[in-house]
Amino acid sequence: MADRIVMHIDMNAFFASVEQQADPELRGKPIAVIGRGRTVVTTASYEARAFGVKTGMNTWQAKQACPQVIFVIGDNRKYTYTSGEIMKMMLDYTPLVEVFSIDEAWLDVTHSLSIFGSAENIAYLLKSRIRHRFGITCSIGIAPNKLLSKLASEMKKPDGLIVIPPTEVCRILEKLPVKELCGIGRKMEQQLLMMGIRTCGELGRYPVERLSRKFGIVGERLQQMGRGIDNSPVVPVADEQEVKSVGHSMTLERDIERRQEILKYLLQLSEMVGRRARRYNVAGKTVHLTIRFADFSTIGRQCTVKNHANRSDEIFNAAVSILDTLELDQPVRLLGVRITNLCYQRQQLPLFEDELRKVLATSAMDEVNDRYGSFAVTYGSVLDNGEKGSFVISPAWRPDGIRNVDVL
Amino acid sequence: MVFGPDRAIRPVWFDWHNRKHAVLETTYTWSDLKGSARRLHFAVRDAGGLYELTYDTAEQTWELTGLEGN
Repeated sequence: MADRIVMHIDMNAFFASVEQQADPELRGKPIAVIGRGRTVVTTASYEARAFGVKTGMNTWQAKQACPQVIFVIGDNRKYTYTSGEIMKMMLDYTPLVEVFSIDEAWLDVTHSLSIFGSAENIAYLLKSRIRHRFGITCSIGIAPNKLLSKLASEMKKPDGLIVIPPTEVCRILEKLPVKELCGIGRKMEQQLLMMGIRTCGELGRYPVERLSRKFGIVGERLQQMGRGIDNSPVVPVADEQEVKSVGHSMTLERDIERRQEILKYLLQLSEMVGRRARRYNVAGKTVHLTIRFADFSTIGRQCTVKNHANRSDEIFNAAVSILDTLELDQPVRLLGVRITNLCYQRQQLPLFEDELRKVLATSAMDEVNDRYGSFAVTYGSVLDNGEKGSFVISPAWRPDGIRNVDVL
Repeated sequence: MVFGPDRAIRPVWFDWHNRKHAVLETTYTWSDLKGSARRLHFAVRDAGGLYELTYDTAEQTWELTGLEGN
């Protein structure tokens, strides 16, 4: 692949930084963002991180690490809006923007240099616009590919700008631990260590045949990563492959046990999944149910339905049929419903009167909800479920398209 | 409210509990959709605390949707 210039942008302690901007009282203080009714830290400010507060900690662990930490209940609408606006700013510099998550993106600026001069200049412009508009900072890495630009952005936080020129790649990777590379997790690191591979330099020199024997097709890719080679393109949202599933999950405000209560949440989730599927005109042949218990153990089961489904009642019935095959011996913490085996552009009116009525009623409900907001009209049995909608921003979230999810 | 540069809306004061609260600073703004209606959210600070004001652009109504530190 010809010489490229790729930029990776990582918003620093994103949720916590947004909250610190929204409430000046929080600025400069150790804060931890938590979910509503829950006790797990989603993001900690740099002031809290200095005391050892980390994502995933319980509130009591965070309090132990930093007694003065302030817990702030996250507001996902603020984060999705801010992220969307920042992604729009990126599009001012190149159409090749790949959203990796709510707070990370890659830009291929190879062909933007004739307008903006240099990649560093684009980075400075973006940094200053983000800071001016939202008061928050980001770290930017510039390198010849996605792998190295992500590595570069991790090298200096917060508010960093690191460039890895092609001539420096070998020197930087030689003694860099393999775990620093995006895509090498703890398990992979352990396996590589057992093979005597500790650094990227060692990984790059390791015989590819032996890596392939151990890791299969990933082996060759691993060796390339050790050499800093990554030919994967920056893929804008519009060019992303068709989605393979539509799903929602919900960590409940409290753990629940009663079947009736579980059914209410399943109906709500089925409505959320169905509505999004109908909006994008997809339907699924397989329905999945995920249940996480109080001890965080998780089970997932699936079933295949007779016809592709995107009506909420069809999805709900399938989810209940899965539920009925399970023995729940613990309270439920999280529920998730998902449809897969998708077909696109499904539009077929049923022949039979009863089915036709259901389709028309669903369509009428969708119209009202499109106009007045989700759950303006819904099933009577989910009315007392409290606030409805997604509380969690999925890692697959995108600023627009089918992966965009309205969050609360 | 007033319209600032670029026709951006900015809250200036609001009435709550029969008391006029002057907005000293808009600390953050964001927007979302409720159905087809765009809602503009403003985190604002007065002398006593932090508030969230929401403007519904379809209904053209203001609402006090959150308060903290009062």
